[in-house]
Amino acid sequence: MATATQPQKKKRGGIIGEFKNPERRTAYLMVLPTLLIILTIAFFPILYAVVLSMTSSTVTGIGSFAGVSNYVAMFQNPAFIEGLYNTVVFTVISVFFEFIIGLAIALAINRAFRGRGLVRAAVLVPWAFPTVISAVMWRLMFQDQVGVINYVANALGVISQPILSDRTLLLISAIGVDVWKTTPFMALLLLAGLQTIPGEVYEAAKVDGASVVQRFFSITMPLLKPALLVALLFRTLESYRVFDLFWAMSNRELESLSTFVYTGVRISQLQFAQGNAASVFIFLTAFLLALVFIKGFGMQTSTED
Amino acid sequence: MRRARRVGTGRAVGRRGFGAVSRRDFLRIGGVSLAGAALLGTAACGGGGGGPQTADDGSIVVVFSAAPDDSGSLTSLIEQFNEDRAGEIQIDYRQQPTDTGAYFDQLRTQFQAGGGDIALIGGDVIWPAQFAANGWISDLSDLFTEDMRSGFIEGPIESNTYDGSVFGVPWFTDAGVLHYRQDLLDDAGISEPPATWTELKEMASQIQEEAGTEWGYVFQGGNYEGGTVNGLEFINSFGGAVLNEDDVTQVTIDSPESVAGLEMARSMVDDEVSQQAVSTYTEEESEAAFLNGNAVFCRNWPYMYGLVGDPEASQIETEQVGVSALPAAEDGESVSGLGGWNFYVNAAVPQETQDAAWEFIQFMTDPEQQKFRALEGGFLPTLTDLYDDPEILDEVPVIALGGEALQRTVPRPVSPVYSDMSLQMAEQFNAVLNGNASPEEAITTLQENLQGIADQAPE
Repeated sequence: MATATQPQKKKRGGIIGEFKNPERRTAYLMVLPTLLIILTIAFFPILYAVVLSMTSSTVTGIGSFAGVSNYVAMFQNPAFIEGLYNTVVFTVISVFFEFIIGLAIALAINRAFRGRGLVRAAVLVPWAFPTVISAVMWRLMFQDQVGVINYVANALGVISQPILSDRTLLLISAIGVDVWKTTPFMALLLLAGLQTIPGEVYEAAKVDGASVVQRFFSITMPLLKPALLVALLFRTLESYRVFDLFWAMSNRELESLSTFVYTGVRISQLQFAQGNAASVFIFLTAFLLALVFIKGFGMQTSTED
Repeated sequence: MRRARRVGTGRAVGRRGFGAVSRRDFLRIGGVSLAGAALLGTAACGGGGGGPQTADDGSIVVVFSAAPDDSGSLTSLIEQFNEDRAGEIQIDYRQQPTDTGAYFDQLRTQFQAGGGDIALIGGDVIWPAQFAANGWISDLSDLFTEDMRSGFIEGPIESNTYDGSVFGVPWFTDAGVLHYRQDLLDDAGISEPPATWTELKEMASQIQEEAGTEWGYVFQGGNYEGGTVNGLEFINSFGGAVLNEDDVTQVTIDSPESVAGLEMARSMVDDEVSQQAVSTYTEEESEAAFLNGNAVFCRNWPYMYGLVGDPEASQIETEQVGVSALPAAEDGESVSGLGGWNFYVNAAVPQETQDAAWEFIQFMTDPEQQKFRALEGGFLPTLTDLYDDPEILDEVPVIALGGEALQRTVPRPVSPVYSDMSLQMAEQFNAVLNGNASPEEAITTLQENLQGIADQAPE
């Protein structure tokens, strides 16, 4: 993302002007191979996916031009709609909780106390697990024969059927697992942001008689905004592309946008083009999300200005 | 293979550089190694074509792919063959993922890229139509003559027959069978395992009530390939069929028989013979429930019988367990879903290599080698004669117990678009078990969706 926006900004000074400066020219020449590689390994596949999504291609070969019919079929496909619904619900709710809990943790461990380093390290443990492993681990806990969570929930009468056999329960579980797993990451990013806020600002506010609540909303939140937006953007995009958690925890039962793409492109023989259409859809919507963060919320993408 | 490793090396160089060298150096190293990897990648791809691949001693190399050889019986047969045919043919065994889906995916990627170097494929019985329709595997009808085929079990041959031609040779087979708790049946005064689904439910309910066994019947109801197999067993045993026997482009699943089959499956849950969780079960969970002594009946592949009595895997003993054919409908016949593996020959490799691969197929499917694999690895033979072999019957009890049931198998729909059909079937069968769709609704949906898929099949 950063590499794509940076050259654009420099263009404002005039491309020709840029190239007159020998030092800059050398710099561009040195960046050129990297740019070429990015073009071939990133932009070419994206464009190719767009092309494929507009043909009636199958895994075995490129088909004839089909316009937007794959996109129309995709939006009529209940599996896609289910994946879209699950993904959006999952992203909104899990990022919301991760943010609230993550902020609370960050505020708590931002204060100096004995054993802070240990707590910080301990908090990160769930995040250090590979997602697939924690997903399988949680699956076992949700399972009906050996699963402790399923057992307790059943004993308490919270659930009327096994967790793994109900898609709504599965989605709730997936959100829970994601919150468990990535809240530490959120806390860490927010903590880094908190530590850039100078203590003097708080002292001055205290002298002026600002209450804790006033200090939080007038000092902490505004000054935390850059770090906060970065953290939220990261998490939103990551949740939006959720694949491994759903795939492994629900044993392919829970559909997300990414699992829809995988099924279309790798398992199905006929939905190859539709899978490509869905991948283009994910790419575009994720791009839009990023734009909203950068333009809408005024997120800084570089430290230059 | 080689290509992947190269790219990996490039990455490792880059990563080490991250900490030690400056950002600029890192970019340079990264760029160079990436470019290098790309070049090597193309170079590795450029091979192939022309004559057959040969070894130093001039023998033709046949790259043979198959799932991991846990019993070691495959490796020792390959060694024996390579020794016998030194200077002529060398089999190069390339191990593939245990997960058949991943294995299939890898092969498909290779075929799409022009065939790859795997000459001989040991693969799942559901693949041939999908490979054959694309012209990826060779028609073996002339080599594998009708006379030879007559010695084999029918189900696996059917699974290899697409568009009137035979595209594979059955290597070993597999069949869904009913495992039951002999001791619990004895205690309940039941002398014979159930012959019909209704009997199974009655016996299960009785034992559940009297002995307090948690599960009456456990099977594989998850939304995956195994769920498709189980659902089809219910449907087929009531006389329903997915495709028209004479015209595989016609979907015929919408019939009262199919509905009756799914109704029976659903009633297992409704009548509490099976717990609701069965809709999430694969072989693994079913096996755990049965081997822990928590189930009266269990539908599974015969491998499970081999685990009974193994103190690490099982809490029940061999004498507590019996094996029989799956139950049938009231006036119907018992039906077992067909599993197992066949040999396929890659159509893209040179003729000499294909001929060499055929030699190896003949060797492997020979009674002697099949017997060896049955004794050493518990693989069910595909030759009917071996089911009367006293030594096999003695050493592999499940073959003696399963007997007829193992030979009376029905393959899954032989269609070039089977993957898509299976996804739909697994989804709908699972919805029925979950109570999200009634059997009628599921069958109506399937008729429509499967016909839609069949219509898109390549010519």
